[in-house]
Amino acid sequence: MALLEVENLHTQIKLKKSTVQAVDGISFTVEAGETIGIVGESGSGKTMTAMSIMRLLPNGGSSPEGSIFLDGRDLLQLDDEQMAKVRGNDVGMIFQDPMTSLNPTMTIGKQIAESVRIHRGAGKQEGLDRAVEVLSLVGMPSPQQRARDYPHQLSGGMRQRAMIAMALANEPKLLIADEPTTALDVTVQKQILELIDGLRERLGMAVILVTHDLGVIAGRADRVNVMYAGRIVENTTTEMLYANPRHPYTEALFDSLPERGADSGTRLYSIPGMPPDLTKPPAACRFAARCRYAQDDCRAQDPPYRVDEVGHEFACFHPVGAALRSGEEVEVTLSEVTSTEELPTPELGEVLLEVTDLVKDYPITKGFLRRQIGSVSAVAGVSFSIRKGETVGLVGESGCGKTTVAKLIVGLEDTTAGAMSLEGADLAALKSGERRKKSRDVQLMFQDSYAAMDPRMRVRTVVREPLDIQKVGDKESREARIKELFEQVGLPASALERYPHEFSGGQRQRVGFARALAPAPKLIVADEPVSALDVSIQSQVLNLMKDLQAEHGLSYLFISHDLSVVRYVSDRIGVMYLGKLVEIGPAEAVYSKPIHHYTRGLLDTIPVADPEVEKAKASSGIVGELPSAINPPSGCRFRTRCPAAQDICAQTEPPLVPYGTDGHLAACHFPIWE
Amino acid sequence: MTTYLIRRFFQSIVTLFIVSIATFGMMHLMPNGVVRGMLGQRATPQTIAELTHRLGLDQPLYVQYWRWLDRLVVHFDLGTSYQKSQTVNALLKEDMGQSMYIVGLALFFTIVISVPVGVLQATRRNSVTDYTITTFSFIGYAIPVFFLGVVLRDLFQVQFHLIPIAKQIDSFHAAFSQPDQMILPVATLVISGVAGYSRYMRSSMLDEITQDYVRTAIAKGATKRRVLYRHVLRNAMIPMITLVGLSLPTLVGGALLVEQIFNIQGIGVLTINAALSSDFVIVLGTTMLTAIVTILGSLVADISYAALDPRVRLT
Repeated sequence: MALLEVENLHTQIKLKKSTVQAVDGISFTVEAGETIGIVGESGSGKTMTAMSIMRLLPNGGSSPEGSIFLDGRDLLQLDDEQMAKVRGNDVGMIFQDPMTSLNPTMTIGKQIAESVRIHRGAGKQEGLDRAVEVLSLVGMPSPQQRARDYPHQLSGGMRQRAMIAMALANEPKLLIADEPTTALDVTVQKQILELIDGLRERLGMAVILVTHDLGVIAGRADRVNVMYAGRIVENTTTEMLYANPRHPYTEALFDSLPERGADSGTRLYSIPGMPPDLTKPPAACRFAARCRYAQDDCRAQDPPYRVDEVGHEFACFHPVGAALRSGEEVEVTLSEVTSTEELPTPELGEVLLEVTDLVKDYPITKGFLRRQIGSVSAVAGVSFSIRKGETVGLVGESGCGKTTVAKLIVGLEDTTAGAMSLEGADLAALKSGERRKKSRDVQLMFQDSYAAMDPRMRVRTVVREPLDIQKVGDKESREARIKELFEQVGLPASALERYPHEFSGGQRQRVGFARALAPAPKLIVADEPVSALDVSIQSQVLNLMKDLQAEHGLSYLFISHDLSVVRYVSDRIGVMYLGKLVEIGPAEAVYSKPIHHYTRGLLDTIPVADPEVEKAKASSGIVGELPSAINPPSGCRFRTRCPAAQDICAQTEPPLVPYGTDGHLAACHFPIWE
Repeated sequence: MTTYLIRRFFQSIVTLFIVSIATFGMMHLMPNGVVRGMLGQRATPQTIAELTHRLGLDQPLYVQYWRWLDRLVVHFDLGTSYQKSQTVNALLKEDMGQSMYIVGLALFFTIVISVPVGVLQATRRNSVTDYTITTFSFIGYAIPVFFLGVVLRDLFQVQFHLIPIAKQIDSFHAAFSQPDQMILPVATLVISGVAGYSRYMRSSMLDEITQDYVRTAIAKGATKRRVLYRHVLRNAMIPMITLVGLSLPTLVGGALLVEQIFNIQGIGVLTINAALSSDFVIVLGTTMLTAIVTILGSLVADISYAALDPRVRLT
């Protein structure tokens, strides 16, 4: 008997006028000690599945139907009191955002102790002792002290460790991790995933890992359930899924990944259309409307769940990949069906933006007279240039200063020192009026377009505003320009009259793009433009950005924490660490032959959607957490986390020097360079 | 913290200084009716001039202000009423007790009632209970205090004689020794207070109930009760306590309308009568007192906010 058996689970969420079939008849099992991945895009029902097991549905969620057997006991038949005894004791759960998921006014020690006190009837001191014990189990440094801290006093990674400690305090048999690392930095993500993996082995528990990230699943899960529109469309072992996906949706997901496009230089596949409305799900295959292989039977009937001879389950009439017989080896290579359409490569022109020794310090003040007692060194002497039609990517952990660089270039912050010139004109020396005029040449594209738009403005006004401010043309020409922009970003003109909340995430990012394009800029600074989007939508926006670059000779400064996205879009990549540019060079060179140890570590840290690659990774990536920028380490700022650090690294700051002839620069005393 | 308090202290001094100048200036812009009011109908221009000179009202405004300020800072003396031949300090002392008592009682009961009502509404959101209480809240909010007071007085004292009509309450002792006389004025203030505060508590609770950490607590296995009292309530009370700090000034500002209706000689009545008879030394005095308590109230609000919420640091 399996540890967890979910059979024909249905979960509905009641809205004001309709009911969403969030989970629509799914079945799966979890064996003791194994890791099951549930992967899918937003709205696929993966989180609702996890919540159904915990019976933690949001407002309007009716009690799930079907059965969920944990150790032979049907959780759906338990009353509230019995269920409360299961939660936190037999099943532990960790959530996406450790900041909001912890009570801000209670010390973490008390919060962990609460779990022990509820289930083990422990006293106050006994609970706290156990809390410290579990905190050291999850690798929290100086657990005794940290137990007395409030959540806001900890870093993101430590908060997630505290969250895990809380879920594991009573040694549950099953741990449900719902997007446990989505809110964390890549370097911390790897540490947390490894922690969960290690604890699973040590405590012999099973794990359900819910994520949208195919890379996270690849190295961690034994089996994977792919969800789409409230159903499981494919279920098999991780190796089999990645090597030979049978459902067209799974295949399309893989094809949308930027790392697939970067190798071949081809346009990314993007899944057309939108997922079906789950208030009235179609009676046919739910993916049919977006499927490139759909036939008449797909649109007429619901495909039954099939199992091929090697135990690979999928729900499709016309499966892709190879039908294997038992004992046969997987031979099919990945993504044969990737579109072969070459992406246009824009001509590189002369230098557009030249940044020299850019510095930004934020003062720290203290006392009655607000004396300055120190400063946060956000950007410490960064130099690079962007040519016309070129895309320069900036990567690094959060807090490395990449967003500050963006703000300085756009003019949202004043520089402390250094020079920036746009087409030869020194931006810092311009008077504010001229600077404003110049600013039409540099536009910003935001990560969260929804937050960046006035919710009470129609998008017509949102997009027209830069034109009004810059006094471009007359009223008619502005209107014409807006229509043209909407056509360029692939939105219907009828959408102009809508409000930001009426768009989906991907559409909103198109509106944000249209607004950035409105004053016909020469450079667009895009700060994490696709980080909030699903893979299939992300590829649409990336393709669009590339197309319009070729058409208008635009330059991009593309900022992201996601190295595979940056590699796909960029001509050159700059790697930042704690305010310094530690390496910069052609995208391929930086990616395949990194010189700086930080770049190497970042590459090892980023999860790749390929189980073979994930398992083969020898290095454990980057250890520890980003030091404070208030008193950055002397010499090379990376030395505190660097595997190759020597005495000289603490004494002398390594200069950025060229390696080879292709403009590949790095700042390291002991470069990885043969 | 010390730095914070020092900074706040200096800011407060500046604020009080500005308040006093503004009030002083405004009072003296009014037509000079004090002297005529004191002397009555038979005043001759000569007696008026004489008294004006004696009170120092013929001096330039800055001299008058300086004298007032000097007395206040050196002797803590707010001056002497023109009409009542009593010092303002004595008048405030006489009337403050009963005002603070009534408003304090009202504030206490308002909180004691609104918090559970708000919690009840939030936990049964959109139920019949919630809607019923909301309806009454809106009615209570919509009825003007003076109307409510008059209705209660007529109903309980005049119509049904449930509460005897006593003579004017003009001291703290009179207020404290006659609890039955306190019922109606306090009830009037509580009814309109609960209407507002309970709404505030309700929305504060709802804000917290939907937070992610509540889900975490349930996932730990905590019961509904435990989640509510150990996690939600404390966090929902934080904005509430700030609100209470900010309403402290009404303690000394008095509740003018209630004092008028129920025949209580308190700060409110003192101020309005002084204003009507141009006895602006008294008005100046009560204004300064209110200003000081307002500043203290917001300081208390800020400090309690920082004490309750570890994320807030006073700098």
